[in-house]
Amino acid sequence: MNVEGLDSAILGPAFAAGLLVLSTHVPLGRQVLQRGIIFIDLAIAQFAGLGVIAAHVMHLDSPGYTVQLMAYGTAVLGAFLLYRCERHWPEAQEAIIGSSFIVAACSGILLLSGSPQAGEHLKELLVGQILWVGYPVLVPVAVIYAVVLLLGKFLRSHEHPLLFYLLFAVTVTASVQLVGVYLVFASLIIPALSVRNAGKRGIWFAYGLGAAGYGLGLFASALFDLPAGAVIVLSLACLGLLVAVTRTLVCLVAD
Amino acid sequence: MNRYRNWILLASLLMCASQGAYAVVNVYACEPEWASLAKELGGDLVKTGSATTGLQDVHHIEARPSVIARVRQADLLLCTGAGLEEGWLPVLQRRANNPRIQAGADGYMEAADYLRLLDRPARVDRSQGDVHAQGNPHIQLDPNNIPVIAQAIAERLQLIDPGHAARYRENLSDFLSRWQTALARWQRQARPLQGMPVVVHHNAWVYLINWLQLDLVGTLEPKPGLPPTSSHLSQLLQQMQRQPAKLIIRSPYQGARASEWLSERTGIPTIVLPATVGGNEAATDLFGLFDNIVLQLLSVTQ
Repeated sequence: MNVEGLDSAILGPAFAAGLLVLSTHVPLGRQVLQRGIIFIDLAIAQFAGLGVIAAHVMHLDSPGYTVQLMAYGTAVLGAFLLYRCERHWPEAQEAIIGSSFIVAACSGILLLSGSPQAGEHLKELLVGQILWVGYPVLVPVAVIYAVVLLLGKFLRSHEHPLLFYLLFAVTVTASVQLVGVYLVFASLIIPALSVRNAGKRGIWFAYGLGAAGYGLGLFASALFDLPAGAVIVLSLACLGLLVAVTRTLVCLVAD
Repeated sequence: MNRYRNWILLASLLMCASQGAYAVVNVYACEPEWASLAKELGGDLVKTGSATTGLQDVHHIEARPSVIARVRQADLLLCTGAGLEEGWLPVLQRRANNPRIQAGADGYMEAADYLRLLDRPARVDRSQGDVHAQGNPHIQLDPNNIPVIAQAIAERLQLIDPGHAARYRENLSDFLSRWQTALARWQRQARPLQGMPVVVHHNAWVYLINWLQLDLVGTLEPKPGLPPTSSHLSQLLQQMQRQPAKLIIRSPYQGARASEWLSERTGIPTIVLPATVGGNEAATDLFGLFDNIVLQLLSVTQ
């Protein structure tokens, strides 16, 4: 037990980052589940990482924004290609996404072999750690998310696959840098998964579950002094399982 | 009267601060060797902790709440510098929001600033990356470096906690004399090791190799942090046929596979040396660290 980590100055920004990530990932996660393309976030994150490596290899790494531009650029380009694939071979989309994930990852390794230094930069950028996040970092992400949420709502991204893919690419590129790929995956899939078939109200339930998962995970990570990202993933999974089991039992009783 | 009392209270508080009547100085280190050294020099006047352990690769750390909490409370933050903690320390310092330990403050010290580093690239340009532009940062593995750092840490402690300056000076001279005795012993014991050909996993051992005058035949990694390629391995094997090594050295945090592969093909033993305090059970402090390193290396020669 360890109480010195229970400090709002330490846990506050992390929790805020979690809520911010949930704001976009819960609705996008529902669409990901509907489309059956679970691993698209891994592929997009890997595309963004490839952009970062490319920026480094091309010596574009001095000002931070060129690296960011490359990361968003390759992520959006990759998402566009995946969208074209879905148009042509919808039945093979999951397999194509999986393959593009490993192709992007291995291309990164090959590019890195000439410049091992870029590996450090890549880790810094794509293996985001939620506890390192401070409030100022959240501001640009909040702006990006607000645009994504508004565009998604008013242009009905669930009816326009291209828009969905592009918004998804931008969202994941931002969130992976904040909290890392494990938390991105968990925030996207677990809340949406545990309330699937729950109809329209389900989304609010998913938000609540996600927030509770982040809160509980951060609390446990401070109390037992464990790496925060991993504890939050497990706490999201436990809560998700609990909700899913409860819902099944309630349904059985109702029948 | 009440007003005066407040002023007196404030004045005495300020005096306490300037006199440095610290109950305990919070020292937090990036690596366990500096925490251990600070404990030697501060004794019960300091509370020490380390962000990493002797069993992990210090290039990366997992963010735990207590790490941020300790940096927030720290009066003195001791790190190696030279780019070793580049991936996480700046963000941690920013996140901790503690003015006492920011770069440039008395409460922040980089050990590498006090030494001449080995492996400084003759020419620094972008094609070589930038991380070790300042030289190899694994400085704790030459025991001749330790007194220099000890001196610097003791000076910082006196600066931060001047009320106990005499105690820190006393501890320093006591430590230095014990260290000189130990150093003389290690150098006597290690004489048979001179010129012993070795292969290392990662180039983290240059300071040890330089101190003991071992002969470095090759490294398993073609570049720091990169897995061996097949052409690199075949070159290494050829080189070892011309110039047979006596042993392969790796750290506890590096995977066993690559060194075992080479062991199997060449019949040369691999030893796992602690790279710092806490790197194995014997390395409980800096004395134990070098005792164990010398002991393990000697066991191969017999």
